[in-house]
Amino acid sequence: MIKSTSMALAVLFGLSAAPILAQDVPTLTIYTYDGFASEWGPGAKLSEGFEAVCGGCKVNWIAADSSIGTLRRVQLEGDTTEADLIVGLDTAIAGEARATGLFADHGLDLSGLDLPGEWTDAQFVPFDYSHFAFVYDADTVANPPRSFEELIALPEDFKIVVQDPRSATPGLGLVLWIKAAYGDRAAEIWAGLKPHILTVTRDWSDSYSLFLDGEADMALSYTTSPAYHRIDEGDDSIHAALFEEGHYAQIEVAGILRSSDQQELAQKFLAWFASAEGQKIIPTTNWMFPVVDLDGDLDPAFATLPQPEKTLTLSDEDILANSAAWIDEMLAAVQ
Amino acid sequence: MSTLPQRPLRIAAAWTLAMAIAGLILAVLWAILAAAGDGAGNSRVDIAHLVRMTTIQAGLTTGLSLGVGMALAWALNRLRFPGRDLIVGLFAAAIVTPGMVVAFGLLSIWGRNGWINEASRALFGFSLGNPAFGLSGILLAHVILDGAFAARILLARLDAVPSSRLKVGQSLGLSAWKRIQLIDWPAMRGSLPGLGAIIFLLAFTSFPIVLLLGGGPANQTLEVAIYSAVRQDFDLVGAVRLAATQIAVCSLVILLASAMPPVPTALGRSAQPRWQDGPGARGLQWLVLVIASIGFALPLVSVLIDGLGTGLLRVLGQAAFWWAALTSLGIGASSALLTLILALALSLGRAALAGRLGRTVLGAPTFAYLAVPAVVLSLGFFLLVRLLGFAPGQAAPIVVIIANALLALPFAVATLGPPLDAVARTRGKLIRSLGLSGSQQFWRVEFPLLGKDIGLMLALAFCFSLGDLGVIALFGTQDFQTLPLMMFRALGAYRSNDAAAIAALLLVATIIAFVGLPRLFERLAHAAR
Repeated sequence: MIKSTSMALAVLFGLSAAPILAQDVPTLTIYTYDGFASEWGPGAKLSEGFEAVCGGCKVNWIAADSSIGTLRRVQLEGDTTEADLIVGLDTAIAGEARATGLFADHGLDLSGLDLPGEWTDAQFVPFDYSHFAFVYDADTVANPPRSFEELIALPEDFKIVVQDPRSATPGLGLVLWIKAAYGDRAAEIWAGLKPHILTVTRDWSDSYSLFLDGEADMALSYTTSPAYHRIDEGDDSIHAALFEEGHYAQIEVAGILRSSDQQELAQKFLAWFASAEGQKIIPTTNWMFPVVDLDGDLDPAFATLPQPEKTLTLSDEDILANSAAWIDEMLAAVQ
Repeated sequence: MSTLPQRPLRIAAAWTLAMAIAGLILAVLWAILAAAGDGAGNSRVDIAHLVRMTTIQAGLTTGLSLGVGMALAWALNRLRFPGRDLIVGLFAAAIVTPGMVVAFGLLSIWGRNGWINEASRALFGFSLGNPAFGLSGILLAHVILDGAFAARILLARLDAVPSSRLKVGQSLGLSAWKRIQLIDWPAMRGSLPGLGAIIFLLAFTSFPIVLLLGGGPANQTLEVAIYSAVRQDFDLVGAVRLAATQIAVCSLVILLASAMPPVPTALGRSAQPRWQDGPGARGLQWLVLVIASIGFALPLVSVLIDGLGTGLLRVLGQAAFWWAALTSLGIGASSALLTLILALALSLGRAALAGRLGRTVLGAPTFAYLAVPAVVLSLGFFLLVRLLGFAPGQAAPIVVIIANALLALPFAVATLGPPLDAVARTRGKLIRSLGLSGSQQFWRVEFPLLGKDIGLMLALAFCFSLGDLGVIALFGTQDFQTLPLMMFRALGAYRSNDAAAIAALLLVATIIAFVGLPRLFERLAHAAR
């Protein structure tokens, strides 16, 4: 018994001592979501790339369980937060994030970016984007629907999986997508989708796993999701269904916290991140489009991805004022 | 007059701990309210509807799980076959396997392209559809998790029936049914209220399974509403109100269960004399076992088969995997040890008490973690750590260990409580007349009898923290991650093969712990004698 106690204590001290090291170099602490900081995400490569050019600095990622979780964490921590930056909010929650007053201006010139629409945001720097889309497996779905209305008209055993808009950004994205496309008819569209919704999951990853396991015919994901299967698995069967009414885009953004004592270094990081050097890491790690034109550095598989002709948008103010009501409308319709 | 030995120290220690746990819960709620400031909470959910739906679901889960658990424990207690330890280990592993892993295992058996549907299509030319979603899906998943756990706990009670009683029973020529009535039922009865309360609370507060298999917002729990209040609306006052509702309902269940007098169980070593039931009963036992194996073990076996394929070598080749595995082991071992200390202190104190009220009150804090929504507890811990002036990164290992110990505590007390009660009641007089001190009572009487149960309890606590995703999610960082967190991250990065491999490895570790630890401690306890 005594032996195992001292062993446990040793493990404890070993673990808690680790983060205290290396305080003498300027350190950029960045909050992000799990997938971004994982072994397979862009985090590690981004630190490596930036640490090589910043002239002796260190990048320290702290992952929360979701992108909205990073925002909640700095809201809770207020001025005492360790975070210098948040990487991984999106345009659907940017309005709310701005309203907290926690973010500083980035001061960068972002006029050269390659995005659907012009970027004028003073606080948030975009770092990747993709359109929300339902993905399907061409081996099992020969004629994918070409609009929400075609989807609704399909037999009831054609099943889709979507995410809860209260916990997952794509879930919220779908609510905005349908609202932007159908306005006052949104509740009607949700009611029509209801029989096709196999389940509403908490995270994107749960939905996507259900889809890959063949439980559902389509999952709400991104137009760029097929690139992962093509590049990493050599599998050409996964496609995104393009809808005639247009698609809503998710633009992921990063912002500097007002409370940070590393404003200059944080700006340097964002400028580098939004440059071709930082951006070429994104496509094959986060599986989204870069926000600059990478030419030859973008994997050719991305160029083969069909893209929607029409991008639907809603303003930050509109989303901030109405998203709670729109989510309620969706929940009421599918309940 | 009570025949219990006087143990004021044990009682004082238990009271102190109970008060400390209650204080911690209050501090957690207070920290959230303090962070909420004066925000007006206008909750957007229909609490009455949520409580009603959740209660129906949890009630059904509890009834089904206890029934299935008793039948399975009965079959496993009688049957001897090669691979029995592995099957018992698998069943025991269900409760601590992350909900997501079980849900996906379940789908690979019962889902649209699952084994059952494929077999049905091949044999009969039609598919059974999708029985794994909606209320039936939730119940199926819950009964797999909780029924198997109930079976494991009840099996331990049946295995502990002293051989002398069995010999007497056998010489009287009891029928299989008479044996259940006279020997098995009294042995299991004492564990049922506590077990039932745990299962009810687990189902009442279930979160990922309800969201994944429930089909949509129609099947929701309070826990989901609380999650959305915290996450989507950042309505902390509303979250605390919802949490108070949940705590009130759960406390009612807990008080009912802890007020039940435990039935004295005679204890003995589990050397098994073979009891030959008649052919009819044996047939039924095999039937129960086969059905249960299809229901319980196949989903877990499919997790193993999926996971030990393509992703495994890639995962094993990563330094991050080994570091996460080491972290998981360290956290698991530390929190199991802490759980043992807490559970022993609480159970010993409770067993030494004669008064019913005191026993009820001492039983309650055990369930703290099940009553308080996980999202509230982890948020509260997070805020407390900050209020105390630590960076979450530094406090993370300690918080995760404490939270995981609290998580395992109800299971630990359900495992150790009834046998310790039984010792105090059946051997109290003897202990008094011999004038044994508290420590002599523990080392000479209780520990030797409890060896296997302590091993089982350590396995439970170790595996709970091995599978935890709720606490680590808020405290994990790039440098501090456990295997479940790594699995979750792999899923989030399209790496479902890697996630499957990590899930399978977690399951293997769990089974090893469940088969190995009780044996180890039985040996240690034997040596102590």
